[in-house]
Amino acid sequence: MTTKALGALITAMGVVAGGLPAEAQGPIRIGASLSLTGTYAKLGRNQHEGYKLCVKDLNTKGGLLGRKVELVVYDDQSTPATAVRLYEKLITEDRVDGVMGPYSSPVTEASVNVTEKYKKVMVAPLAATTSIFKRPPDKKRSYVFMVISPAEEYLEGLIDTAAKRGLKTVAIVNEDTLFSKAAASGAVELAKKRGMQVVFQEAYPKGNTDFSALLTKVKALTPDVLAAATYFDDAVALTRQMRELDVNPKAYGVTVGGDLPEFYDTLKTNAEYVYGATQWEPVLPYPNNTEFFEAYKKEFGHEPSYHSAAGYAGCLIYAEAVKRAGTLDADRVREQLLKLEMRTIFGEYKVDADGFQVAHKIVTFQWQEGRKVVVWPDELALAKPRFPTPPWNQR
Amino acid sequence: MLGQVVISGILSGALYAMVALGLALIFGVMRIINVAHGPLLMLGAYTTYFLSTVLDVNPYLTVPVSMAVLFAVGVVLERTLVFRVVDAPELSSLLLTFGVSIALVNLAQLLFTSDLRSVEYLTGAWVVGPFALSKTRVVAFVFAGTLTGLAFLLLGWTKLGKAIRATSQSREVAMVCGIDVQRIHLVTFGLASALAAAGGALIAVIVAIQPEMGQTWTFKSFLVIVLGGAGNYPGALLGGILLGLIEQVASLFLTTQLSEVVAYVLLVAILLVRPTGLLGGRQT
Repeated sequence: MTTKALGALITAMGVVAGGLPAEAQGPIRIGASLSLTGTYAKLGRNQHEGYKLCVKDLNTKGGLLGRKVELVVYDDQSTPATAVRLYEKLITEDRVDGVMGPYSSPVTEASVNVTEKYKKVMVAPLAATTSIFKRPPDKKRSYVFMVISPAEEYLEGLIDTAAKRGLKTVAIVNEDTLFSKAAASGAVELAKKRGMQVVFQEAYPKGNTDFSALLTKVKALTPDVLAAATYFDDAVALTRQMRELDVNPKAYGVTVGGDLPEFYDTLKTNAEYVYGATQWEPVLPYPNNTEFFEAYKKEFGHEPSYHSAAGYAGCLIYAEAVKRAGTLDADRVREQLLKLEMRTIFGEYKVDADGFQVAHKIVTFQWQEGRKVVVWPDELALAKPRFPTPPWNQR
Repeated sequence: MLGQVVISGILSGALYAMVALGLALIFGVMRIINVAHGPLLMLGAYTTYFLSTVLDVNPYLTVPVSMAVLFAVGVVLERTLVFRVVDAPELSSLLLTFGVSIALVNLAQLLFTSDLRSVEYLTGAWVVGPFALSKTRVVAFVFAGTLTGLAFLLLGWTKLGKAIRATSQSREVAMVCGIDVQRIHLVTFGLASALAAAGGALIAVIVAIQPEMGQTWTFKSFLVIVLGGAGNYPGALLGGILLGLIEQVASLFLTTQLSEVVAYVLLVAILLVRPTGLLGGRQT
């Protein structure tokens, strides 16, 4: 047999075995628009790193459907309108094989219209707003899947901790965007359910840096609890200005941003006693969680946040569904995602018929001596909360 | 409660006034709306941040350094770019400074990343009766007041100040009287940048900073000089304090969300009813 004939035979065998023509065996390209600059940059970049580590891990295990996996990522500068344009570009110009979700609820809410239009499955690991998934019957979405717990549950730990200790009044403030509004309205519901009185509720615009008037109003009402549905910048500014205006609730908690190491780095001891909610902590007893933590630290030189872990897990969940479907075909991957029950480094994954997350659990922590200590729920708590929060002048 | 927000309003108003005075100077003397004013303020903030965290200098001692650095940056900008559009149609100067603004912000994102940075110094408040006076804001108020006062002394009593005002009244006549108008433009742009830098330096101690912080300050300064009367320097002072008060009082009686709406509705109203501003336009 000549070399040429041998070559042809091998190629033919390859084609039969693979069931696909050789030229289709390039990498699987997965596209995403992420907030790499702008207001959400800190969090978006961690999500990006989660994606990168997941792709790396997939590739060391032989890729997906026998093909290498490759990420195509663009920066949406934390603006929904830009993300919409980028998903259009990813799907129509770059012709990626699959997409992953962007950072934040507002950006996902906008982008999902594009992925639905082109019938692309989108696992959206950092979208926590119920209304993205739970839709009126005529506006149902079929291809978007939730990974983290809904925004409404973020402040549950704070409210529950406060209610158990007999606190009666609560003030709730929030950034006027999708996620924060949902977190705030969830807190209102939870507080009412626990017999607490909501004495104040107000929203502030995204990018707001001056909270003096808002906090002056809060201070005048002397609520027992201040629950703030925030992102990072506003969480930092609120905490600093609470100290400046000497606002002293017995418990004060934020939502997103409060869990980043930078929160403490920026605020130093002013961050003590602040409660925060997180979807994930490295200390939680989930499978391979410690290994993920170590690998991430080694790869990127800093510790992962829950955004990193959710990004990582979301990408694994999508990969698992593709593996089970045996194809990248959106409808068949969708079927698998609806059926899938999976326990990742991030905890449980299971969705209902709307793609809405029903299994994952949120935890509440408190900053104690520079460390985030999980204080709620009881079954995952590592210590008791330091309660009540002392007034600023007695610290 | 009203007392507290009036205090907060006046405290932040003084900063607005100082920063806006820079914009008013450039507009008065060169007839340019400097859209890059906010980003220059941002550079001032970063100068203070790096001096105080890396070299461990007291942040308030870095204020004059930031001002000097940005004076130099302003001079370089004027000499290389801005002087080309002084007599050009207004759109050219808007476009040019807008371009400079974008370039500065993106450069800052590249060099400093968009991480939030903060200078932790003098946190907390002085509690006086029912009022809490944020320490950093009170110090910023004192600095802003002093620097604005010095700027007015310079404008009113020195030969340079007189030359600046003369150029702002009529460039041709100033030139005929032997004033080196080119040099006045250069100095004015430098001074204005230094005022913005002082604002940035003081803000860095109050809130966390990031490269995109400047743009809102461009808008606010613009609002202030329209309120007070474009090109009218004492008008900037009045406009600044007014804007501070309007923002705070509107947040108190309405919501924080609506306070900016109120400020800008007022801007439109003033442009319609009294386009020359509360104290009238250009000084004569």
